Amino acid sequence: MKGRVKSAVWPAAVLAVMALSAAGCGKTSEDARTQVRMVQYKPEAVKVFEELENEFNRTHEDIKLTIESPNDAMTVLKTMFVKEEIPDIVGIGGDINYSNFLDADMFMDISDYEGLSEVKEVYLEIDKNLEFVPLKGTYAVPYAGNAAGVLYNRTMFQENGWTIPTTWQEFLDLCERIKDQGQQPLYFGFKDTWTCLAPWNAMCADLAPADICARVNRGETVFKDAYRETAEKILKLIPYAQKDPYGYSYNDACTAFARGESAMYVIGSYAVPQIKSVNPDMDIDSFVFPAADEAEQNLLNSGIDLQFSVMKACENKEAAYEVLRFLQEDQNVQKYMDAQNAVPCKEGDFELPSMLDGMLPYIREGKMADYQDHYYPAEMTVDAMIQTYLMEGDPDAFLGKFDADWKRYNRDIIRKVKEFERDGEKEGGR
Amino acid sequence: MEKTNERKRTFLLITIPVLILFFLFNTLPLLKGFVYSFTNFKGYGSYDWVGLRNYTDLFTDGRIGKSYLFTFKYAVVCTIIVNVLSLVLAFGLNSRIKAKSALRGVYFLPNVLGGLVVGYIFSFIFTYILPAAGSAMGSEFLSQNMLSNTKTAWAAIVAVGAWQSIAMNTIIYISGLQTVPEDVYEAGGLDGATGWKRFRHLTFPLILPFFTINMVLCMKNFLMVFDQIMALTKGGPAQSTESISYLIYQNGMNGGQFGFQSANAFLFFVVIVVISVFQLTVLGKKEEQL
Amino acid sequence: MNSKRKHSEKVNWPVTILLILGCITIFFPLYMAVMIALKQPSEMTNDIAGALSFPQHWSLGNFTEAMRVTDFWNSLGNSLLISAAAVILSILIHSLAGYAIGRNMKSSKFYNFVYLYIVSGMFVPFAILMMPLVKQTSQMGIGNRAGVILLYVVFYMPMNLLLYSGYLKNIPLALEEAARVDGASTWRTYWSIIFPIMKPMHATAAVLTVLGTWNDVMTPLVIMAGTGKNTLPLAQLTFQTQFGTNYNLAFASYLLALLPVLAFYLICQKQILNGVVNGAVK
Repeated sequence: MKGRVKSAVWPAAVLAVMALSAAGCGKTSEDARTQVRMVQYKPEAVKVFEELENEFNRTHEDIKLTIESPNDAMTVLKTMFVKEEIPDIVGIGGDINYSNFLDADMFMDISDYEGLSEVKEVYLEIDKNLEFVPLKGTYAVPYAGNAAGVLYNRTMFQENGWTIPTTWQEFLDLCERIKDQGQQPLYFGFKDTWTCLAPWNAMCADLAPADICARVNRGETVFKDAYRETAEKILKLIPYAQKDPYGYSYNDACTAFARGESAMYVIGSYAVPQIKSVNPDMDIDSFVFPAADEAEQNLLNSGIDLQFSVMKACENKEAAYEVLRFLQEDQNVQKYMDAQNAVPCKEGDFELPSMLDGMLPYIREGKMADYQDHYYPAEMTVDAMIQTYLMEGDPDAFLGKFDADWKRYNRDIIRKVKEFERDGEKEGGR
Repeated sequence: MEKTNERKRTFLLITIPVLILFFLFNTLPLLKGFVYSFTNFKGYGSYDWVGLRNYTDLFTDGRIGKSYLFTFKYAVVCTIIVNVLSLVLAFGLNSRIKAKSALRGVYFLPNVLGGLVVGYIFSFIFTYILPAAGSAMGSEFLSQNMLSNTKTAWAAIVAVGAWQSIAMNTIIYISGLQTVPEDVYEAGGLDGATGWKRFRHLTFPLILPFFTINMVLCMKNFLMVFDQIMALTKGGPAQSTESISYLIYQNGMNGGQFGFQSANAFLFFVVIVVISVFQLTVLGKKEEQL
Repeated sequence: MNSKRKHSEKVNWPVTILLILGCITIFFPLYMAVMIALKQPSEMTNDIAGALSFPQHWSLGNFTEAMRVTDFWNSLGNSLLISAAAVILSILIHSLAGYAIGRNMKSSKFYNFVYLYIVSGMFVPFAILMMPLVKQTSQMGIGNRAGVILLYVVFYMPMNLLLYSGYLKNIPLALEEAARVDGASTWRTYWSIIFPIMKPMHATAAVLTVLGTWNDVMTPLVIMAGTGKNTLPLAQLTFQTQFGTNYNLAFASYLLALLPVLAFYLICQKQILNGVVNGAVK
């Protein structure tokens, strides 16, 4: 009998401990101000967002803004959605995650937010392209962009009298010349498969239509045709890279470029902080990847690195808009761009970091095309497919697999697009 | 009679709450995940029912097939290497040696290190140190980074996986050796049983339960290999080292394939349970014979 | 008795020397970790010297910086709380379960089923449980540290059950029967005789459970998301973003996080070493 009582004690004790510690965490704060909760996905920008948060709360008496910058934010955001503890504003990238969240109907239409008129048209178009099926309304405020192409060691270029290439042939000639002078033209970190996307995206910007993925979904074309030129040209880069490019990681490649082991590095502006951490005094500049045979055809590879969306579940639209207005004030935009070496999506005369000098004309004129991989479903792992292709060198196999896999990983989306088109025809017929 | 009932009752009173707890936080969510395997759920938001599509896809998806092959090859090789080495190590560390505690502490270290540290250190060794040593010795084979070659990458992952997990299995073998009474050896010593013979007929049968535990834990840990892949190759080169768990995490969590990967996870679960129950019954029978 | 003592005093030198030589395979990578933790990013080069040479200046700057970035004491506190609670509860609950199930699984179909049912739970990939668990814990109001502790107790139950019931096979029933004759209840027999005898196994289970919980990122990441609380591995995610990793800071932080587990292991090792059964059987 005694045994029975005692053995019943421990589960009860366990539950009691659990209940106690659970109760301790449910404190409620009494604050009359309207609460706005924002989650943004760039942990490297945590400092500048803390500053912006404090500044906002100092200047606003009726709204309390909290900005969270969690590590591994995409996982955290998804769990927040599952828990239904949805923030009011999210700051994410203009990529497939945005498309998916939009497709899951999580964002609010913010067409009536007046700040949209100050955003560069090209970035709003990028967001439009990211919609699986064209939607009415606007769902994000593009905030910061980044640019990718070729970073080069300005000191090395000046010492050797090398000039910036503007066509594919000039680029190959330059690589040849650098090699002849006993230097390493390119360095790749293809052990980290995602870096394979850097040259791929930059070349696709010049050679493939920006909305190719949407066109394929509509059944108008296939990747076999659209990507053929890019696929053939990207292979030509390998002989100019270091031996065994698949044995070195992104970090290795950044270190090598920082130490002057190569003259150029095909990557985005986002790599500059990592490079400078190794060699703080390095003089880095960049140019647009010249993959096209005509200089005019080349476009800068630039996408939306950070944009803000108001969640559908947000109850205080006006307060959320006030936060957006604040973030879009010129001095705050400049503050963010300085901290993150980024390109502002807002119209206006902002100061840009020096390593973007070579890309400046393209940025000013809006001659840009988005990263192709922002349209690829993550689970298709196109980066690994490109790595495989670069190792094996068979364009037909690669492109054939690309088309086949695309259908497999996107069939629900393709179905939706087809349904949408059919409905559109019906409406048009009426 | 009263005594037997009291004993039975106590056992039940211990077992039932444990069962409830386990059901609530393991089986119930597993069943929910099983339900998702019939949908195209992305992990959040709305979803549609797709019937058995995810399961039929499993058998036509080349990546899934390749990942099963890789994972099983890896697990079998690793299990053998680790069990042999940790058994040897456990005997060594359990024999009459100097600085026993210090040595045991040292051999345990790899198990405490986190995935990123081990991954980065070994990446460095594979990328810079081994090739340099290889060229110095004039070996063409060694002068390339093992991780960038589809033929050798898996062996490199086996080496790192074994390096990290030998510690755990050694501990279990050591705690097993502790249960072997000294007098067994004394008796054995009198009969002139030494070396291999002594191990085969005296020690091994006594630590067989621990051998069972280690076989099962090893198979489980290696079949679910994830950290080493993440830290060393991220599934590369050329997708040759994608393990099943890697696909489930990467595509289920980071990608939008939660439904499909739930189906994969469920199939995988069934496969490992079958293997392990088989292991447990075969080894259990052996234990009984002795 | 006399001969035995003489026997155990004889040191096995060949094995000692081999084991000491084997330590190189452990110390070499560890030496690299320490060197990297002591250097600045600008001292990293892509060759052998990058990881093996001594730093230009000996300084613990990376360690203090890493502690600042990870909010070390708070994160450490959370990690300690979670791991300690999980281990204590695990030892109490799992050893009991191991006893109840292990003693009966040979004679009873029910207990044999329970054993296989729980042990097979070990093979459930966490990814499939993750989203359902996030929702479930949130609905039950334990989407916090308590929930993480509870989940660990469940997650490590299969492994520990396997360990405890395996260990019990080598503990003779005769030990309990003696107590039973004296009129002690099963419950009391367990705590006074079996529980102390399983000390080496408690230590083993504790070490393995702590290792799993201490370095775990996923469970606290998804369960505690949005609570503003960090464990050490969660805070350490800061060092690694897609576009850059500060290995020097990261390694300093990892070495710091390693110390508590190492200390814990060294304490437990003494327990694993004391073969209690040896004495008990005689």
